[in-house]
Amino acid sequence: MFQSIQNGRIKMVFIIVVLLFFLIVFRVFYIQVIEYEKLNNLASSLWSRNLPVQADRGRILDRNGKVIAGNETTSSLVVIPNQIKNKEEVAKNISEILNADYEEILRHVSKSVSIERIHPEGRNLSYEIAEKINNLGYDGVYLLKETKRYYKYNDVLAHVIGYVGIDNQGLSGLELMYNDYLTGDDGSIKYYSDGKGNKLEMPEIYVSPRSGLDVNLTIDLDLQLVLESELNNAVSKYEAEGAIGIVMNPKTGEILAMSSRPTFEPGNYQNYSVETINRNLAIWKSFEPGSTFKILTLSAAINEGLVNVFDEHFYDSGSIKIAGATLHCWKHQGHGDQTFVQVVENSCNPGFVELGNRLGKEKLFEYIDRLGFGKKTGIDLNGEASGIIFNLDKVGPVEQATTSFGQGVSVTAIQQVAAVGGIVNGGNMYTPYIVSSISEPDTGITIEEFQPKLKSEGVVSKETSELVKYVLESVVANGSGHNAYIEGYRIGGKTGTAQKVGPDGRYMVGNYILSFIGFMPADDPELVIYIAIDGAHGVTQYGGTVSAPIASNVLKSAINLYDIKSDPEGIPKQYEWYETKYFTVPDVINMSKADALKQLAGFTIEYSGNGETVVETSPKAGERIKEGGVVKLMLN
Amino acid sequence: MKKDNILFFGTILLATFGLVMIYSSSYVWAEFKFNNPYKYVISQGIFFIIGIFVMLIVSKINYNFYKEKSNLILLGCFILLVLVLIPGIGVVRNGSRSWFGLGPFGIQPSELSKIGLVIFVSKYLSRNDREKRVTKNFVLPILGMIILFFGLIMLEPDFGTGMIIVMSLIALIFITGTDVSIFVKLGLVGLLGIVGLIIVAPYRLKRITSFLNPWSDPLGSGFQIIQSLYAIGPGGLLGFGFLNSRQKHFYLPEPQTDFIFSIISEEFGFLGIFIVTTLFLLIFYRCIKISLETEDLFAKYLSFGLSFMLIFQTLLNLMVVVGIVPVTGVTLPFISYGGSSLLVSMTMIGIILNIGKK
Repeated sequence: MFQSIQNGRIKMVFIIVVLLFFLIVFRVFYIQVIEYEKLNNLASSLWSRNLPVQADRGRILDRNGKVIAGNETTSSLVVIPNQIKNKEEVAKNISEILNADYEEILRHVSKSVSIERIHPEGRNLSYEIAEKINNLGYDGVYLLKETKRYYKYNDVLAHVIGYVGIDNQGLSGLELMYNDYLTGDDGSIKYYSDGKGNKLEMPEIYVSPRSGLDVNLTIDLDLQLVLESELNNAVSKYEAEGAIGIVMNPKTGEILAMSSRPTFEPGNYQNYSVETINRNLAIWKSFEPGSTFKILTLSAAINEGLVNVFDEHFYDSGSIKIAGATLHCWKHQGHGDQTFVQVVENSCNPGFVELGNRLGKEKLFEYIDRLGFGKKTGIDLNGEASGIIFNLDKVGPVEQATTSFGQGVSVTAIQQVAAVGGIVNGGNMYTPYIVSSISEPDTGITIEEFQPKLKSEGVVSKETSELVKYVLESVVANGSGHNAYIEGYRIGGKTGTAQKVGPDGRYMVGNYILSFIGFMPADDPELVIYIAIDGAHGVTQYGGTVSAPIASNVLKSAINLYDIKSDPEGIPKQYEWYETKYFTVPDVINMSKADALKQLAGFTIEYSGNGETVVETSPKAGERIKEGGVVKLMLN
Repeated sequence: MKKDNILFFGTILLATFGLVMIYSSSYVWAEFKFNNPYKYVISQGIFFIIGIFVMLIVSKINYNFYKEKSNLILLGCFILLVLVLIPGIGVVRNGSRSWFGLGPFGIQPSELSKIGLVIFVSKYLSRNDREKRVTKNFVLPILGMIILFFGLIMLEPDFGTGMIIVMSLIALIFITGTDVSIFVKLGLVGLLGIVGLIIVAPYRLKRITSFLNPWSDPLGSGFQIIQSLYAIGPGGLLGFGFLNSRQKHFYLPEPQTDFIFSIISEEFGFLGIFIVTTLFLLIFYRCIKISLETEDLFAKYLSFGLSFMLIFQTLLNLMVVVGIVPVTGVTLPFISYGGSSLLVSMTMIGIILNIGKK
């Protein structure tokens, strides 16, 4: 055809053009579909300005849901320099309200950034100050919700809780360990701005913050408060250098209360020394336990069938010779002839050296290891110490002897609580723990639950456990622990008086750690308590005089809190002449008046009603009242 | 034969859409610069109305008129291109001395030269058709003239327009059916020329490579393409909707000009892009159809040259906007803001319409 060459080439060009159009359309498709995500994110961050909305940090709650570490809502000042027209005026007014340096604030509002936080002057503003700034009504000046950690009970449970920094980041204790759970996701107010930083008329997008998760503790705040106040009293009364108190449920390992002195206020942690804020003495401090350690020697000897505590006797002359060295009993004249129950009641050192000898070093140290000494208990807290136990190769007769009454070993308070808990809980030893669950704050839904962890079964036999509990109940009823006795309740325990080792490695004169470890009810313990007072002044240096009464007070509160029923089956207390005696009211119902009077000798009797037969008494039979107390009889 | 209505109304539709998009993309800047958001759209609207009349009038002028006056037209273009280089007569806008100021408006002689050169070259090629087997006699003289005009335009400088003119005229020579080897040689010369330009000023290499990875220099040479991608990408399938572009809010500089296509894709998404490109292809198809159907060689070359010029400019603009080729500073015919460009484009369609009537 005419001009066919030209037309052919025109068609060729046309096809190339069409192909190029396809290329372009495909490229647009690629950008809008394949690269959409990437470009959209990049563009979004270009267009939008995020004003952060801080999430609430998760709370730390006690076992009954009481808030120990909560949040306080404050405001934080943020400026968008681009939107501020008169920078000098804004800086002047804000610096006056904040009582801050004008130049400093001017520097903030003039910075060439999209969003500037006035830090630290504009952080954690109170409602009043925030309101004043708000009333200025300046463009580009924003007050954003910020939350601040709030410790309602100040120093209560301080070492366990720890503390947070200015950005609510956990720095120690549970705040640090569970920081990932406690930290929420900050939200934001996102608004769109043009290329010059001005706000665009597009709806703001509010991304609500997600609060951090709550950490629920095994701690009982009420009991904790009692323990705290008892330790405060003791420290001020005895001008003590330090103190430790732990209450644990031996059946589960749950820590119900834990405290130590010196303590600090987490809200003002900067005002305390690093040692004070970072050392949770209840798990960190490793020290010579003294006589509380004898529980281990006793349990081991009974468990191995090496002693009959009721029938065997031991004569204490006041000292015992071991491999040429003379070890003294704390009572210099000696306790004389005693059953082994009395050896424990009297905390007689030579008696325990004898038990140690019967065990031999291998057995003794096997029990030390089995009960968890010399290694961490594994409690869910940071900063736990292992303590120091003699290396078996280095143990000679003297080391074996001192170890059996609690000298020359170094242990932590929590190790003793865990070990005694295992012994009195029928030989089932639980790992102590303090966090029971992690839950969602708004719904209360449990995210993660921590179950009691049985560490070792049968550390001693059930029979041994029963026997040890009985002997230790006897210590409180009749022996050195009598200051822990509570009328009508069964309490077992052991005192300890340990000389402290000075910096030179020698025992310090007149400087002791006075301790008491106890449990209640003695037949089936629900609570194990440990109290240690370090460096008490102006008091007889016995655990029985200083620490046992503190333990008693805490246990009394526990009785009220947990409504523990009194139990008349316990070993009646041996009374000193100066102490008030308590007697059990006998059952006289349906007896004649005369017979009843005989039974009630020693009580003051009051009558009501006419007749010869007793139909009712007040108090009821089985209750214990003071010697000479009033018993009312209803007659018919 | 009747006037091609599809071509006529397709052009009107495209330019109307362009007018709407000029409003959408420019009101932010117009408000900011002139305190009048309608500044650009009114100005373009006036040219559009004039353009419709020009297109109608031109479609009634017999194309043989240009054939007769081709030498005169070329001479006129040459004089204007020289005059515009003289400071005091030519006005500098956006770094190029390529404007005659006429009150608020301006005229670009390089735009006029597009038509002038296509007319002249079409006449030359159709008249010397018998010589086309002899490359030396047929191609070289006209190539020399093309290079002369290209040189003048590069003195302004206006690389985009120069490129469009050169490529369109080469395409025109190509369709005459001449020996293909000359284009291979021309390609090599062009490549050498580019290499030479880069050796002289190495910064040009950066300009070229930045389109491959615009993020290597996000605030410099990569800036415009990144801003363009930020508009195209988030648009997605359906876009943010009319007037809802975000990039026009001072992110994309002068969004009503070279990068108006980004704003279209931001507001109307892939679907909008598909419709707009289809409309361009439709117009091109109608033009090519006219070119194929006419049996007058001059008319064939003229209609092809003009339609290729329009479509090549379109392709170049789109490829820049989507990041396939480096930024060249070429507007989108019928759509981008620019009065003389719109007038020239509509005049071209007018000429093609006239050829189509025969």
